[in-house]
Amino acid sequence: MNVLADPRIRILVNELLQYRRAVVALFVAINLAAVLVAFYWPKGYTASTTILVNEKSIIQPLMQGAAVATQVTDRARNAQEVINGRKVMNQVIEAAGWATPDTPASQKEQIINSLIARTKVSNVSGATNLISIQFRDANAERAYRTTKTLADVFIKESIAAKAAESQAAFDFIDQQTQAYHEKLSGMEDRLKDFQIANLDARPGSEGDITTRINALQTRIDQSEQDLREAQVKKKSLESQLSGEAAVASAISREGQYRQRIADLTNQLETLRLSYHDTYPDIVRLRHQIADLNDEIAADKKRREEAKTAGRIVVDDAVINNPMYQQLRHDQSQVQITIDTLNARIAEARQQLKSVVEQGKRVHGGEATLAELTRDYQVTRDIYQDLLRRRENARVSMNMDKENQGLTFTIQEPATLPTQPGILKFWHFIVLGILLGIAAPIALGYALLQIDPRLRSPALIAERHRLPVLVSVPHLWSKGEILAAGRDLEWLGLAAVGTICVMICIAGLQVLGVF
Amino acid sequence: MSKIEKALSRAKRDNSLALVPVAKRSGDQQSGLAEPVTQPASGTGAMVEARSQAISGGEISSMREVARRSHSELADHQIIYPEMIDSETVQAFRELRTRILQKTNNRNGTIMITSVAGYGGSTFVTLNLGAVFAFDAGRTALLVDCNLRNPSFQRLFSGSPARGLTDYLENPDMDATEIIHSVGIERLRVIPAGEQHLVPTEYFTSPRMKMLFASLRQRYNERFVILDTPPMTESADTQILAELADYILVVVPYGKVTQAQVDECLQSVDAKKLLGVVFNNEPRAPNTLWMEAISGAVGLVQQSFRRARDSARRRFAQLAGRLRKRSGRAEP
Repeated sequence: MNVLADPRIRILVNELLQYRRAVVALFVAINLAAVLVAFYWPKGYTASTTILVNEKSIIQPLMQGAAVATQVTDRARNAQEVINGRKVMNQVIEAAGWATPDTPASQKEQIINSLIARTKVSNVSGATNLISIQFRDANAERAYRTTKTLADVFIKESIAAKAAESQAAFDFIDQQTQAYHEKLSGMEDRLKDFQIANLDARPGSEGDITTRINALQTRIDQSEQDLREAQVKKKSLESQLSGEAAVASAISREGQYRQRIADLTNQLETLRLSYHDTYPDIVRLRHQIADLNDEIAADKKRREEAKTAGRIVVDDAVINNPMYQQLRHDQSQVQITIDTLNARIAEARQQLKSVVEQGKRVHGGEATLAELTRDYQVTRDIYQDLLRRRENARVSMNMDKENQGLTFTIQEPATLPTQPGILKFWHFIVLGILLGIAAPIALGYALLQIDPRLRSPALIAERHRLPVLVSVPHLWSKGEILAAGRDLEWLGLAAVGTICVMICIAGLQVLGVF
Repeated sequence: MSKIEKALSRAKRDNSLALVPVAKRSGDQQSGLAEPVTQPASGTGAMVEARSQAISGGEISSMREVARRSHSELADHQIIYPEMIDSETVQAFRELRTRILQKTNNRNGTIMITSVAGYGGSTFVTLNLGAVFAFDAGRTALLVDCNLRNPSFQRLFSGSPARGLTDYLENPDMDATEIIHSVGIERLRVIPAGEQHLVPTEYFTSPRMKMLFASLRQRYNERFVILDTPPMTESADTQILAELADYILVVVPYGKVTQAQVDECLQSVDAKKLLGVVFNNEPRAPNTLWMEAISGAVGLVQQSFRRARDSARRRFAQLAGRLRKRSGRAEP
């Protein structure tokens, strides 16, 4: 199968050929870099140990809900943080023989940084509770010692830190419990004092007062209604009394005279229609009328004289009015009723005011009482909860003291490494050759992907549906062929030479020449 | 004075027009079917086609030719020839010729060749398309350099610039035959851009220009007139020339233009006249290159080995001589 039949590969080959010098230069440069890296790559022995973090201890199910086990999501990261800490590292460098207590601080710092760079802490794949600690060093014995020390110190520090954490948690909760106890006692005292000071501030008082207020209000309303009725009644009686005379007069003597004169005058007028004034009946009637007028005049004169003399003149026809008397009696009764009602309303209002005042007092007291009670209940609940938590914390603390909580076990102890690192010298040589071949190809491919300039006639045919009549290859002149051939000749030799040199270097290294 | 005489006298006067050597001058001097030629002053200069009344394909054989260029000369000018070692390019142009003949139903015509961008290889395609048409003994091609701003056919002539299109357009008395030159390739004629470089675009629309093209078309039945023009998007001349041409061929250079440039160029081309696209200058390495490189490398290694061996022998001989001398001194 001809690989050049694929237009993409053909274009790539063409481009690589065009930039042949750069391609070979890159190949040589990469190989040279690989040799340098291989020479300077730190040789080292790697010792490793695996620690099992046991979070499912036997005691945990028994203490379910009472003790809190440590929750760790990323143990490797936590372990890395602990190991890289100065506390652990200072112990490790002294225990593993990297430094003595007399070593200067700056030198210690350098050693610590160097150890941190060469220490790798990771989770063992597939097991989150297995932590692997690896340490690389040129000296196998020292690598082993350091790894072992790292694991020991890490476990010791982790357990100590856990115990300290539990103790701190217990102390804190205990302190809080005591504080709440004092607070609860204070609350109880305040509640007691208040209840003594406000006896009527008891539950239900407010309801009684409301009932009383309602009753008084109803009474006032009823009395006012009655009062309004009585006042209406009084007005009605007064109006009736104003239309009635105190005495009733019968027809008086003067009245009788005048009535008689009127009758006679009527008769006279009737007669005069038919008769002359001289008619005897008319004359007689005129005399009778004159006599009656005289009688009236005499009566008046007599009354005047009596008045002048200061005597009471009682008309014969005056009598006491019974209706008037009755109305006056009723009026008096109504007035008594009005006065009574006014007195009653005033008294009811007074009572109402007093009850309202009492109500206000009771209401304020009840709110204060409710607040005090609420505070007391909340404080009591928290206190009870704290008591429970304190006991849990005590159990947790005791578990950590007895190493029954989170435990660390060395699953795979560190061993003395016998083989140096995974990457060997010849690995770099092979990688250099492969990378030297792959990099120019990859670079060329990437450039072809980025460069928008047309390199394939198929694109024009697809886009414009136009026939690409022919793709004319570059016409190589003889001089060009010679020059390019000479180029390829030298470049090929350079590439093959590079590969040979690389293989020779690798062979010499394997033979132990350097 | 006949046109033949006029052409001869002008050629004598213009002794700077040095083209390829004339091969058979005496035999070409026949009138009638043969075209009159302008004589180069050196006697080996350019031969100019004279007007021909001949129409049949048989008359092509009677075209007067100057001495054929050598293969190395053609290769130097990037012109193909049938015996070329690099057969891929020759094959590509042969295929192009076949495709064009298929599309034009074997009828001759005027083909305008334009590139998507400057230096896109339109001249290279024009020259080689003309050459490949001329491979066929029954066909001829006339190349016209219409790229007045950047004329390129002049490199085919040595000495001072040959008279060409601009001279013809400037000079109403000039005959078309005076600007048609043979360049040492059988059945291939060339009209260079000429000495005048400041010809206005309006000349291309002039009746004289149309007359010239009409006469060029009628000259031979089997002749393709091929115009080398500037890029379509860069010159207004190309648009005018596109109207005079029967067919248009667009050259897309490899790795020099983007899709957008191709779009722009193709949009300005009359789709009815468009024959297609030629993808030019694909950098395919010829097989000979690999052979050259491998043989060179092997030779280099052998040479180095030989040197090392010779050097070792010399040293060995020197060492042996010294030893002999020492032993000679010791023996007496």
